[in-house]
Formats: sequence, structure tokens, C-alpha cells
Amino acid sequence: MKLILKFFTAIAGIILASSLPLLITGWLVGEWRWRAYFDSISSTLQELWPLGDIAFFNNRIQQPVPLFPNIFEYIVYSLEILFLALVAAVTVSLILTVITMLLSEKARERVKMALYFLESIPDLLIIMLAQLTVVLVYKQTGFLISKIAAIGDDRIYWLPVLCLAILPTIQLYRLAMLTFQEEERQMYVDLARALGFSKVYIILVHMFRNAIISVFFQSKKTMWFLLSNLFVLELMFNLPGIMLFLSDNMYPLGFLVAVFSFFLPMFFLYSFGEWYFVRRLRGKEAV
Amino acid sequence: MWKQPYFVIGFSIIAFFLIGSFVYEWIWGNIPRQVYYIMEGGRAVEGAPISPNWQFPLGSDQYGYDMLGKLMLGAKYTILAALAVGALRMLIAVPLGYILGTYLDKHRKWISSLADSMHYIPLTLFAAFVLTPVLWMPQEGFTTTIWERIGVQVVIMALLTVPIVAILIANEAALLRDKEYILAAKTLGAGRFRIIRKHLYPQMREKIAVLYGQQVMETFIVFAHLGLLNLFLGGTKISYDPMFGDPPMSISYEWAGLFGSTFRYLQGAPWLPLAPVLFIALTIFAVSLMMEGYLRSKNPTAKKRRKAAVKDPVVEWNREQLREAMVKLKERSPEK
Repeated sequence: MKLILKFFTAIAGIILASSLPLLITGWLVGEWRWRAYFDSISSTLQELWPLGDIAFFNNRIQQPVPLFPNIFEYIVYSLEILFLALVAAVTVSLILTVITMLLSEKARERVKMALYFLESIPDLLIIMLAQLTVVLVYKQTGFLISKIAAIGDDRIYWLPVLCLAILPTIQLYRLAMLTFQEEERQMYVDLARALGFSKVYIILVHMFRNAIISVFFQSKKTMWFLLSNLFVLELMFNLPGIMLFLSDNMYPLGFLVAVFSFFLPMFFLYSFGEWYFVRRLRGKEAV
Repeated sequence: MWKQPYFVIGFSIIAFFLIGSFVYEWIWGNIPRQVYYIMEGGRAVEGAPISPNWQFPLGSDQYGYDMLGKLMLGAKYTILAALAVGALRMLIAVPLGYILGTYLDKHRKWISSLADSMHYIPLTLFAAFVLTPVLWMPQEGFTTTIWERIGVQVVIMALLTVPIVAILIANEAALLRDKEYILAAKTLGAGRFRIIRKHLYPQMREKIAVLYGQQVMETFIVFAHLGLLNLFLGGTKISYDPMFGDPPMSISYEWAGLFGSTFRYLQGAPWLPLAPVLFIALTIFAVSLMMEGYLRSKNPTAKKRRKAAVKDPVVEWNREQLREAMVKLKERSPEK
């Protein structure tokens, strides 16, 4: 029930945001254009129905095309890249965390420090360096690691996924390190150690499942960041994804459609995760 | 704070950019030097864009303007705007967060779930969408001045994430409010405002400072992303000439514009887009250095531990005594 309410407030928020530029244009000349704002919202909502009639402008073939089912290609491609990068980032960062937790206290502090400063690298720099490296390698050896731009309906995967995954990996790595270190101070870890369990066993079996919950609840910011990065990535690699579609269609309806297309999967992912972890936490308390 | 090397290094990088920017303009004027080609032994060896060399450390752009000069001239716009966005955002979000955390605590839950839904809209996208009418030059030219546009952009960008920051502070304040000493203060008759001013704020000062640093870093990134979309700080100049239209240009030499208008040249002249992004990266790095230095000056545990590790004269003396006793014991034992 609460979830449904949350879902609808989020949708209402996005709809209200979709016509915001009109209000801002009004502020620039010093008027409050509430009327135009609400007119724009209602006309956008009217346009939304029936869904089959929506058309948008495709920059690649230079003519309007119906929204459905063409949009699904864009959405699927974007989501594929997003989730591949997410899975890669989560896996790599957790593996690295477990390995780092086995090191000495001093080494851990050094790793944390390095991660802190690595976090400040802008995503643009990573993408540009990756593209330059690929071209350089190609020029030197004649071996093309990956295409650096998509032309037409080309699909390139692993280089964009790599570029997208690097920064979230660093962020999640640091986050997981902090959480695991917090967890290490708990009593049950001392108890397990006293009982003679090995360090690896304690980390993998006992600490892992407690820390992962806390990491999940703190990872929302990383996801937010990941979405912004996806946007830039699609522009830089010229990927035919939903963000590129949006940058061609910067008006309320386009904004609404594009935001919804990744809001829905993300929302369900997070709600499911929250529901699952909260249930597990409650279950533990009851026992 | 000023004894922390991290803080001092970070601060001097930013100070160098800012002061350098104003000094550059004061000495050489606000147009960087322009060279169309380089002569060597009587003939032109390289035309604009010139690759980096000793005379032009960062090369020159496609019109022959010195990149380093452009970057130095632009530093003040980008850095001051980012600092202003962060400051304005904190100025609005901190009081709002405290009010939410104390006076409106009953409503905190649903407001926070509303603000939470913002996490599904990418910040860059939202900023680009909202700022387009402000920054994109209309057909008949701008009706606003550059400073007005910069002001409007700063205000809008500050407002965009106010809800998220305010909720963060509100949650933090609500956590602190359950502590015993606040309860004690309440029992002694302290009002809500006094609790905020005397108890919550001093406790959270460090957190707020770090949050400010994070906001500034985030703002730099968003500026760069907006540059990619041809939305530059202070407006994008567009030539509507159908025949000889120039590409979209930044009105000042701010970094987002320098990057955004040249990133298509990445393969041909990589120094053009790389230099501004490197400068942005360096500034972000400087901010994170300052944050780390500030934190270290506030809780010097790291320092204390190192001091403890330094050899203590008493311990040393004890060890010496022990060693002597051991030696004596050893000397004595064969006699027995």
C-alpha cells in the first residue's frame, strides 16, 4: 500500500517537473506563467493517450516515426548497458572488498585513501581516455579492441559497459569497505573469531550477509550517479539509447517518456530489494 | 586546518586558478594570444590548431587562440559559479533540513519519500531540460545580460537538489535529537531553536562542511555534462546564419564551454577537449584534498596514532633497563 503511494507521488513529481521549463521562461521575463504551465501539463497528458499515436522525431533518418514499438529498441539497449555495468560494478567491488578485508589495517587505510581520491575523477575523463587508448592501440598494432562509436543501428557493448562501470565500482568499493569495517566491530565477529573460525569464513559467511543490506540501502546515490553517467556515455559513444533519444526530443512529452522508461525498472528493482531486505531483517528480529 | 598539508595543497590549487585568472586578465586583457601558424626556418610548419609545445604548453584551438590562456581566463567563471551553487544550496537546505528534522518531524517520512523519487531522474538530464530555455540563445538574441544568466543558472542548479540535501540533514538531525544530552537540554527547558543553534548545529558542522565540498564537486561534474550538451555557463551563442553558421559557442571562456565545443575534435586534436576536462578534474581533486585536510584537522586520531608509534622515551628507557638486566642474567648463568 505504502509502495503504491510512493509510486504515485514519484510519478506526480515527474509530471510536474516535465513542464518546468515553461515556468522558468516566465521567470526570465518576470512573470508567473502558472496558466501556461498547467495548460502544458494537461496537453502533455492528453497527448499521452492513445499511446499508439505518439510520434517523435528521429534524427538519424530525419523524419518522425511512431513512438511504439520503436522506442523499445532504445530502452532495451540502454537498460542492457545500465544493468551490465551495474552487475559488473557490484561483483567487482564486492570481490575486491573481501580481498581487501583480509589485508592488514594499514594497507586497508591506504586503499581507502586511494579510493577516496580516485572518486574525484570525472566520468568524462575516463570515457575520453578510453576512446583515445583504443585509437592509439589500433594505430600502433592494427588491432581494434572495440568500436568507439556506434554508427546507424550498430550495437557496441563492452567498452561502454567498462567505462560506465569504473566509477560506480570505485564508489561501491569504498562504501562496502566502510560498511564491512563497521561490521567488523560487532560482537558476533569477536565471538566467531574466538570460536576459531578463520578470517575468510567469517567475512564470507557472517559479515557478508549483514553488510550487504547496509550497502544496498546506501547505494541509491551511486545509482543516481550511474544514470547521469549513462546519459553522457550515450552522447560520447553515439549509442542509440534512450538518453540520445531524449536529447533529440527535449520537450515535455519526450522528457516524460524517456524518464518513465528507466524510472519504472529502477523503481521496481529498488522496491523489490527494499521489500526483500526489510523482510529478512524483520525475520531475524523475530527469531 | 592550515597545518594540514592536504588542505593547504588543495587550497593553493584553487587559489592559484582564481588569482591567476584575474591576474591574467589584468595583465594581458581578456583575449588570449592568437597565432595562426608556427614558423620554423622561414616556412610554416604547423597551422592552427597547434599541438602542445614549449611556447604553448596546452596547444592552441582551431582558431589559433592559446589554450592555456583561454583556460586561465575561464577559471574564474567556472570555479566561482560552482562555489556559489554549492553555497546557495547549503544556505537553503540547511535551515530547511533543521526545520524538517525538528518542527515538522511528523511529516518527515512522506516528504523524504517524495524527495527520494528524485533519485530516479538523472541530475544532468534534469538540469539540461530545465536550463535549456535560459541558456540556449533564441533566434532574436538574448534579452538578458550574461551576469543575469549566470545568476539564474546558479540559482536553478542550486535549487535542483535542495530537497535531497535537506532530507539528508533532516534525517541526521533527527538521529542526533534522540541522544541523551539533547533530552537533558530539553528537560532543562531549552526551546527547539536553541537546541538547533547550540546543540545540533555544532555537532553537525563537520558533516555540513563535507556536504558542501561534495556539492561543489557534483556541480563541477554537472557543468561539464551540460557542456557536452552545448549548454554553457552564462549562455550558448548560436549562429542562426543558414550558410556560414558557426558551431555553438560559449560567451565567456568558462571550462564547460571549452570542453563542450571541442569534444568532437577528440581524435584529431586531443588536447582541445582533454585540457579543460583535466583542469576540471584537478579542481575537483583539490576540493577533495581540502575536505580530507579539514576532516583530519578536526579529528586528529590519525595523527595521534602516529605520535604513539613514535618512540616514547620512557618505553625506550624501560627496554634499555630490561636489556641490561637480561645481559646480567646471561652473564651470571654460566657461573652457576
